[in-house]
Amino acid sequence: MAALEVRDLQTHFFTREGVVRAVDGVSFSVDRGQTLGIVGESGCGKSVTALSIMGLIPKPPAKIVGGEVQWEGRELTTLSERQLEDVRGHEIAMIFQDPMTSLNPTLTIGTQIKETLRRHLDISKDAARKRAIELLDEVGIPKPESRLDDYPHRLSGGMRQRAMIAIAISCNPELLIADEPTTALDVTVQAQVLDLLEELQASHEMAMILITHDMGVIAESADDVVVMYAGQIVEQAPVQELFDHPEHPYTEALLGALPQIDDASGRNQRLTAIRGRPPDLIDPPKACRFAARCPHASSGDSCATHMPELREIRPGHFVRSQHPASERAGKRVEVTA
Amino acid sequence: MATPARSAAEHAPLVVSPTAETMAGAPIRQRNLWQDAWFRYIRNRAAVAAGVVFLIVLAYCLIFPLVSPYDPYDVEFSDARQNPSLAHPLGTDAFGRDLLTRTALGGRVSIGIGFAATLVILAIGVAYGSISGFIGGHLDNAMMRALDALYGLPYLPFAIITLAILGNAGFWTMVIALSIASWLTTARIVRGQMITLKENDYIRAARSVGARWHRILLRHLLPNTLGVLVIAVFLELPGVILGEAFLSFIGLGISPPEASWGSMAQEGYKNYRVFPLLIVIPSVAIATLILCANFIADGLRDALDPRTRET
Amino acid sequence: MHAVDGVSFDILNGETLGLVGESGSGKSTTGYCILQLMRPNSGSVRFEGVELTELKGESLRRMRRRMQIVFQDPYSSLDPRMTVGNIVAEPLIVHSVSNRKERRARVRELLDTVGFDPSFTNRYPHEFSGGQRQRIGIARALALSPDLIVCDEPVSALDVSIQAQILNLLKDLQDQFGLTYLFIAHDLSVVRTMSDRIAVMNDGKIVEIGDAQYVYSHPREEYTRALLKAVPIPDPRKMKERKQERRQLQKSLADG
Repeated sequence: MAALEVRDLQTHFFTREGVVRAVDGVSFSVDRGQTLGIVGESGCGKSVTALSIMGLIPKPPAKIVGGEVQWEGRELTTLSERQLEDVRGHEIAMIFQDPMTSLNPTLTIGTQIKETLRRHLDISKDAARKRAIELLDEVGIPKPESRLDDYPHRLSGGMRQRAMIAIAISCNPELLIADEPTTALDVTVQAQVLDLLEELQASHEMAMILITHDMGVIAESADDVVVMYAGQIVEQAPVQELFDHPEHPYTEALLGALPQIDDASGRNQRLTAIRGRPPDLIDPPKACRFAARCPHASSGDSCATHMPELREIRPGHFVRSQHPASERAGKRVEVTA
Repeated sequence: MATPARSAAEHAPLVVSPTAETMAGAPIRQRNLWQDAWFRYIRNRAAVAAGVVFLIVLAYCLIFPLVSPYDPYDVEFSDARQNPSLAHPLGTDAFGRDLLTRTALGGRVSIGIGFAATLVILAIGVAYGSISGFIGGHLDNAMMRALDALYGLPYLPFAIITLAILGNAGFWTMVIALSIASWLTTARIVRGQMITLKENDYIRAARSVGARWHRILLRHLLPNTLGVLVIAVFLELPGVILGEAFLSFIGLGISPPEASWGSMAQEGYKNYRVFPLLIVIPSVAIATLILCANFIADGLRDALDPRTRET
Repeated sequence: MHAVDGVSFDILNGETLGLVGESGSGKSTTGYCILQLMRPNSGSVRFEGVELTELKGESLRRMRRRMQIVFQDPYSSLDPRMTVGNIVAEPLIVHSVSNRKERRARVRELLDTVGFDPSFTNRYPHEFSGGQRQRIGIARALALSPDLIVCDEPVSALDVSIQAQILNLLKDLQDQFGLTYLFIAHDLSVVRTMSDRIAVMNDGKIVEIGDAQYVYSHPREEYTRALLKAVPIPDPRKMKERKQERRQLQKSLADG
């Protein structure tokens, strides 16, 4: 059985304007040693999914209204806040996009690591200090002994994110959720942080959920990919399969919209823009949520009246569309396993 | 360096037309900023209640003397110091004047001085603060140090001295006395707002099209401080009303037969043991108004604060 | 403090010069200095032979008509208290171009050109999404028919699909109106698809400048090479190779 199994998760926001179905029936699982990438544009529900797993959604207005989050055989959605606190930071850890706001500016790096250690593990102050130095060393912060007493603002963005990672892995979590961990960083630093996460995942045998808007980051670090759109999973596949044979029109469009750095046509590249914008998640139509923007939907289709099911189009490759690439007229894709 | 040779043939569409692809659609939100603020405000129950009470008090002060059967100035010693009755719901004062009517009259003066002084405070504060914040540099530095020095002056003694110099205490002398040392905080708020706003790209955009300084100040910066100014009105108002009450109470303010809540309290103070109503009524009126203004300011801050505006 | 130190380059008429660098490299400062939104301490900025750093008052104002800017943040770049129509009309008003009626027609035409529905001119900017706001900003920049537009990270705050719309739009506008762009961005792939020539900035200096194709395929400088190696590309197979190369490069940097 998978370490984490999310089944039909539904998280809604109860606002003045109506009920926002931020996450609307999301299912996936992650195993130890595996990285699941969740990719999608802003507002697609990827971050809310992560926060729902951690029990960190703002209540109110948000509420998990359905589904299960099975963690090592335990159901997380029904745990009390106290029980969740024991899981968070200990078994499941999370790192966020902005290392500036996720570290407390008034406490030293060392204090913040030691705090987490002593909260979850029964160790002495000296042992915690020793462990903190080891952790900073492990995440590649030079001269860890002296860094221990530094305040977050003394570190660069990349170093701060490394410190965040040190805190996250301090109690040897079995699952690490990284929500846009490199979005605020420069490319060279981003590459280093992704490399670091990969190394740590291997050495700690963690499961990892990597949330990003960047297909490049997915290609670099994920084993399996979930593509989210308007609160739902629209496509799910192993990373190579997804990039080789994207099935959902949205995934295709996302890949087409990316500027290619190694495209010889250079300045003459024409990017595929997706017309329109995602639907309102208050009372979304009972139809394919991508239908209005889909280049393959035509007026006579059932797209406008039926929500397509997430179906397995090839072993391990799921898609939610009436018009997956391999089933379009005049196009058959031969796939070898 | 070679000229980039780019012929038309290299490019696909040469004419940009609003096709379905580029036309990206309608607005996502349908309310303007003030409507938005309004919705946020009415969700704050304390602020709404305070606003309603404030309006009722205001309406009472403005309208009641017009419809009251009693003249607030008519002395009738036979009616002096009556307890509340059907004829006089709040009783009468030492000169037999109907207190319900007289309190409304006092309220007119108190609230009138309050708003007038607040507006003067805002005018001076906005002028000082926006010059300081907008021009910046050495001038800003000098103006802020001057402000620090003025902060050293205690507000009430300063008002008392002003009244002594101006002589007779009428409506406008009170307004001047109350605003002359109270605009400092507003100036500082406006300056801070200016400095923050100046960093916005839309100011840079205006400069890059060659907009002159007065356009940037009047069209971009000041309209964007409006929210802060509305809050400032209700933040300054309690202090000014209290100041007026205090000055009148110690006998420096409005003099009889005119009345303000402060001067009414002063009259009542002389006989508070035998007839406490005379001091209780104006005091309760002052306290109610100040409490309301504070709650309103609080609600407005939540509704209009630029930090929460984009969420 | 030198944010920018001894930067020299030319932009040719009708071309796009991409200015790429990481945060703090001084690329935005360079853009501001060109537009005289910031006055450089020393050095010279010449536009068609005219020395901009010496221009003052009315002559500078006249020159501003020919150079415009598109900003990164679609939220802070539009005055929240002005309607869309007034925002786009502002350059015309400032330079007293045409009367009210002509101005209104021009605003509609501009909005139409950038793919923004002109019937929404009386709305306020916060009612629109980031991509729509960026179109408003572009319409404003086009209002005075400038020759040079400095694009300061115009798509880095946008989602990928919207980013593609805006990049395509900028290219179309360039072809239609013969614009010259200084395209400032941190994203090397974006700069690649927009630029004829590319300048790489680091620590306030230009470390490498040249034909876009050439700089990307044959980077001369170590810094450019490291930057290019770090860019994630949406292809897992190529990423594996790049990761190997990157580690070797790091090792050689550490050893050397």
